[in-house]
Amino acid sequence: METTFFHVFRNTPPGREIFMQSLYFCKQTRASIKIYIPEFTKFLMYFDNDVVQVDLDESYLTQPATARSHAMALAVQAGVEPFFIPPMNFTALTLPDISVDFDFMCCPRCISDFSSKFSLGHIGPRVRRIVNAARFPVLIPSSQFKEWKSIMVFFGGSANAVNALNLGLYLSRTTGVPLDLFTQAGELSRSHFIDILKEHDLDEEVEASAREWHFFEKGKFEYNLFEVPHNALAVLGAYGHGLVKEMLFRSTMEMVQSTLTNPLLIAGPNYAVGSR
Amino acid sequence: MRKTIFWRYPARLSFFRMDDRLLLISIGVIVGLFSGLAAVGLNRSLIFMLEGLYHLRHLWWAFLLPAAGAMASSIFLEKIMKEGAGHGIPEVIYSVSRYGGLLRFRSSFSRLISSCLTIGSGGSAGPEAPVVMSGAAIGSTIARFFYLNDRQRTTLVGCGTAGAIAGIFNAPLTGLIFTMEIILGEWSMVNIIPIAVAAVAGAEISRILQGNSIAFESSGFHITGVDLFASLGLAVVAAFASILLTRGLRRMHGVSVKVKVPMWVKAAIGGAAVGVLGFFVPEVLGEGYHSIHDMIQGVFKGGIGIAALAFFAKIFATSLTLGWGGSGGIFAPCLVIGSFAGLAFHRVLAFGFPGTPLVNEGCFALLGMAGLISGILQAPLTGIFLILEITGSYEVMLPLIIVSVISTTVTHYFESDSFYHKDLRERGELLRPGTDSRVLADIGIREVIETDCITVPPHMLLREFFHLLKQSTRNYFPVEDPETGQFLGIVELGDVRSYIFNTVMYDTVFVEQIMNSNPDIIHYDDNLADVLETMDARGCFSMPVVSNNRFVGMVSKATLLDKYRDELNVQTSQAF
Repeated sequence: METTFFHVFRNTPPGREIFMQSLYFCKQTRASIKIYIPEFTKFLMYFDNDVVQVDLDESYLTQPATARSHAMALAVQAGVEPFFIPPMNFTALTLPDISVDFDFMCCPRCISDFSSKFSLGHIGPRVRRIVNAARFPVLIPSSQFKEWKSIMVFFGGSANAVNALNLGLYLSRTTGVPLDLFTQAGELSRSHFIDILKEHDLDEEVEASAREWHFFEKGKFEYNLFEVPHNALAVLGAYGHGLVKEMLFRSTMEMVQSTLTNPLLIAGPNYAVGSR
Repeated sequence: MRKTIFWRYPARLSFFRMDDRLLLISIGVIVGLFSGLAAVGLNRSLIFMLEGLYHLRHLWWAFLLPAAGAMASSIFLEKIMKEGAGHGIPEVIYSVSRYGGLLRFRSSFSRLISSCLTIGSGGSAGPEAPVVMSGAAIGSTIARFFYLNDRQRTTLVGCGTAGAIAGIFNAPLTGLIFTMEIILGEWSMVNIIPIAVAAVAGAEISRILQGNSIAFESSGFHITGVDLFASLGLAVVAAFASILLTRGLRRMHGVSVKVKVPMWVKAAIGGAAVGVLGFFVPEVLGEGYHSIHDMIQGVFKGGIGIAALAFFAKIFATSLTLGWGGSGGIFAPCLVIGSFAGLAFHRVLAFGFPGTPLVNEGCFALLGMAGLISGILQAPLTGIFLILEITGSYEVMLPLIIVSVISTTVTHYFESDSFYHKDLRERGELLRPGTDSRVLADIGIREVIETDCITVPPHMLLREFFHLLKQSTRNYFPVEDPETGQFLGIVELGDVRSYIFNTVMYDTVFVEQIMNSNPDIIHYDDNLADVLETMDARGCFSMPVVSNNRFVGMVSKATLLDKYRDELNVQTSQAF
């Protein structure tokens, strides 16, 4: 089956940076890119048990006349054939529905939410809802395009982390890019994590594919993040907690995304490895 | 590991696994109560606004009140809540048809506030559609919270709708019937029971908080054969009024779309026009229930001319309010317009045939309401039960049935779909249960795709191709460029039949010479109903799925119909 990647195009310089990251991801993974050029500042995504209204800011409607040609030119330059998708249906006259039948989606940290105005560095609630509801992983790009030369999977032993590891292994296989693991072990021993890998029949594959396992028994997590190469794609699983819960209790995802400038690929709780 | 909170997944409890009706009834009560509360909340807010603005109505600038209300409503809905424009009920039907009743949480309160602003300030609209939207969104949100499946969620959306209608009109039966007839479009036992219970819960909470009163109590009517005969004529009048209102609303919306100003300016223009109209015909302002009350009681002071003028003015005002961006529904305007139609019709009869022993004009006002509701919604049962419950006039049952069914039939002759369904039908998004389009809409291309196909290169000789043919059980062979992987065409068994006995050609003909290089293809996003239609039109039994210029697999009619049958089984087995 063909791998598909969904991108909402924004015809501005920051939008171009994000689009170039999507194109690079597609080129690396040999996925086809489905581009949506919005005509309205909102659209709906109907997931299995949630409907997310994505409220875009006005910048997404910048110069609609040139948006398609700009996207086309960038895609051709990157060697990726672009496919422009229209809205699937309309829930209301100005409220299109976009298909969620993709394998990956690109989402900036904040699509439009008020939070982007005053708490830069946090993932907006709308993006969280998408991560939480989607069966596909979400690529959260960095502010500037940078090619990634390795994949760093954050593996903490949870079910979501196992999903993320599967995703990382898949990406490594597909792209040929080396895979590294990052584990903040705390008081847990290395054997504990190896047992988890064995439980999921991943031990041999990790042994064969992983270039390095950054295993930290000491040190604060945020300090240890310095070990993540600047040009790595960070892959991690997320529980899909809401913004308030995450800000109150913190989480690995929140810590990673607010500390690292790398592009992140987040596998939410509904991401199923087999669905790809 | 992610913790599973058992009470968030009640459908997984073994007690509910065998039969989830008890689960749906239990949650349906909660949904009905919340929907009833939403209805009461809107009702109270409207009373508060109407009373608050009452002392301003006599001022010369009072015509600006509907403009201000509509503008505020539009700004709230568009800029703050970021809702798409719409009356609400079509969105509920759409979500039930396509997405198992998934509705946004914000819809559970946004329309309540916006419609309160529009109607409370004098806009000609009703609170029922917003409250239905709210109830449906409450049902959907609660279903999502408990991780219920599509069918269960749809039932709870129905519960919310029924609870809302039952709460706003104090009419539980109408809530149930409106939901089955308009929203769900199917009468299944698995739905009726929880929805009925939710309707009772909605009505009961309304009775506790507002008292058990009949909205438009009548004084009792003595119906004779003459009245039954006259009701035939009224049914036709009501039908034409329904058509006029439907077309007026659509035409006005079409005009407003062409005006290139912001939505809130449009709403203000529409509101100001209604305000000016209301200056001369005050009956057009607001929901208009006061006028209905007067007419049913037989104390409406105006003559034939005033009733007729109010009839047309209310249609115009409703079209202006809703067509230009105000928020609200058409239920209440229909009742007002219908009662004016009934009243005017009675007075024309009384004027033309002075000696005829007709029933009180209030009865005709009541029948007119039923005729208009039935006509515009094309839902005769909703019309009949609504009027019975909000007037308590069970003695008018016979003419009520006559007016409702004839009005529905005549309206259907000119307007093939109800007001709520028309837009959806035109957009191809009205997928009623049990229909082909609904069954096919629930099947994705990925579910019917067959990938065990053998691809061949364009430069393959016919001899090699025949050799391959022996090993294959398929009749279609996609041709791919071996270097780029691009899909070039397809060879069907029928294309090579003429070469089979001509062995001379085996080493001289290449696959690319016999392939169909321009076949009809399917994309992932295609609708299966369209695919099936194309197959029928072209007389083909299989079509290739191509994505990104690459062959992905085949979709065959046989597999598609197998899947269709499975899906139909699933959908129909859920009905009982």
